[in-house]
Amino acid sequence: MQDSLLQQGVDLMLLGMGTVFVFLTLLVIATTLMSAVTRRYFPEPEPELAKKPAPATAAATVDARLLAVIKAAIDRHRSGK
Amino acid sequence: MDTFLNLWQDSGLYQITGGQFTMILVGFALLFLAVRKSFEPLLLVPIGFGCVLANIPGAGLALSAVENALYAADPQVLAAMAGALGSGALESAAELLYAYENAGSGARLAVRQIAADAGFSNGMLYSFYHVTIASGVAPLVIFMGVGAMTDFGPLLANPKTLFLGAAAQFGIFSTVLGAVALSAAGLMDFSVADAAAIGIIGGADGPTAIYVSSLLAPELLGAIAVAAYSYMALVPVIQPPIMRALTSEKERAITMTQLRRVSQREKIVFPLVLLVLVALFLPTAAPLLGMFCLGNLMRECGVVDRLSDTAQNALINITTIFLGLSVGSKLAADKFLDPKTLGILLLGIVAFAIGTACGVLMAKLMNRFSKTPINPLIGSAGVSAVPMAARVSNKVGLEANPQNFLLMHAMGPNVAGVIGSAVAAGVMISMVSGMGIS
Repeated sequence: MQDSLLQQGVDLMLLGMGTVFVFLTLLVIATTLMSAVTRRYFPEPEPELAKKPAPATAAATVDARLLAVIKAAIDRHRSGK
Repeated sequence: MDTFLNLWQDSGLYQITGGQFTMILVGFALLFLAVRKSFEPLLLVPIGFGCVLANIPGAGLALSAVENALYAADPQVLAAMAGALGSGALESAAELLYAYENAGSGARLAVRQIAADAGFSNGMLYSFYHVTIASGVAPLVIFMGVGAMTDFGPLLANPKTLFLGAAAQFGIFSTVLGAVALSAAGLMDFSVADAAAIGIIGGADGPTAIYVSSLLAPELLGAIAVAAYSYMALVPVIQPPIMRALTSEKERAITMTQLRRVSQREKIVFPLVLLVLVALFLPTAAPLLGMFCLGNLMRECGVVDRLSDTAQNALINITTIFLGLSVGSKLAADKFLDPKTLGILLLGIVAFAIGTACGVLMAKLMNRFSKTPINPLIGSAGVSAVPMAARVSNKVGLEANPQNFLLMHAMGPNVAGVIGSAVAAGVMISMVSGMGIS
């Protein structure tokens, strides 16, 4: 009886650990495959692309206004002389 | 004078037993750990309070209607019950209870009917326990919430880290062997089912431990849950010495390459892939991993934000309250004050230490063969305990190299550990019930 209890424990350990490793190995393979397929055939549009034009125009308008202010300041400075 | 005597005999002071008094002190100790030391307060506050409630003498909050009727010891009710069980009318309450537990379903039904007719009802905590844990519902709902809180991004960016989650489960299975060896040596009396439930503590995953022990060893549930949650709180104390002992200064300073960006679509497909694999190879893990995948899909798919929000906030909080109280109700004196509890606490910490060590060793092995460097410290995060174990990896890494942030790298093995311990739980359940001893 005692021996068989120990035997059951050993069985549980070997089979259990084996199953965990086999299952997670399968999961690694499946995940790698899934990622490869998804990235190759269903790539997502890069979110950075959509964002880029917005700050560019904002920077441009600021630049234009700044330019006008600087111009006016220079003009005044020069006319003042 | 008679009224006064009745009042005195109804008081807790008159009825209290030494065991109940000790368990109330244990409950207060748990509350102290939770409130003062911030040990998993979300669970230990309800567990500790449930423990105190369950041991209030005479209130019978954790007892069924039949037990309440037996302890109330109304001679007429006792005689009726003895008649239904077909035993002598002069048996004591304890003998009747034993007869009831071993009676056929017809006699049990009759006894329950007698108790109900006499006006006895199930205690509040007993009802909570039946709804949340005996049915298996609460741990599964919590697992759904955990799924909704989990980001698989770091794992998807580096799927190899799943092996670390697998290696750390060795703690579970070696503890099973330890528990069985203890009973073979005649020191404790654990069956294989008990041993399996105790081993799951090494998975460092509260809901999984509760789920497995509710199926395999309900009478040990209180001790197992308390051990699991206490050790989860002790992760920052238990793990670092083991991690330092098994790695060199140089290994701890290894910097890992930046993780790639993982697209939304990969994150949506992953829980479905996991679900299909579970369905094909390990249906016994389907309740745990199925709910986990559902929660994660709700998080990532982006069209049911309201459901995802409920699962990871309101629902998980409600469930935690009742789960904690129900676990507390299992901390009754006659079950907890037993040398087995000491064995469980001892085996639990061994399970935890072995799991940590195996994770670190596996990471060292992978570092040897991998093209990209792997810091062995992330291996210890393979025992679940999300996100505490990952934070510990990060902290120990920063000690060796202040520029090295391992947190995101450690999250991969960390969530892999959750999957790993759920898989281990499924294997245990199917194998132990296959042995026909559960």
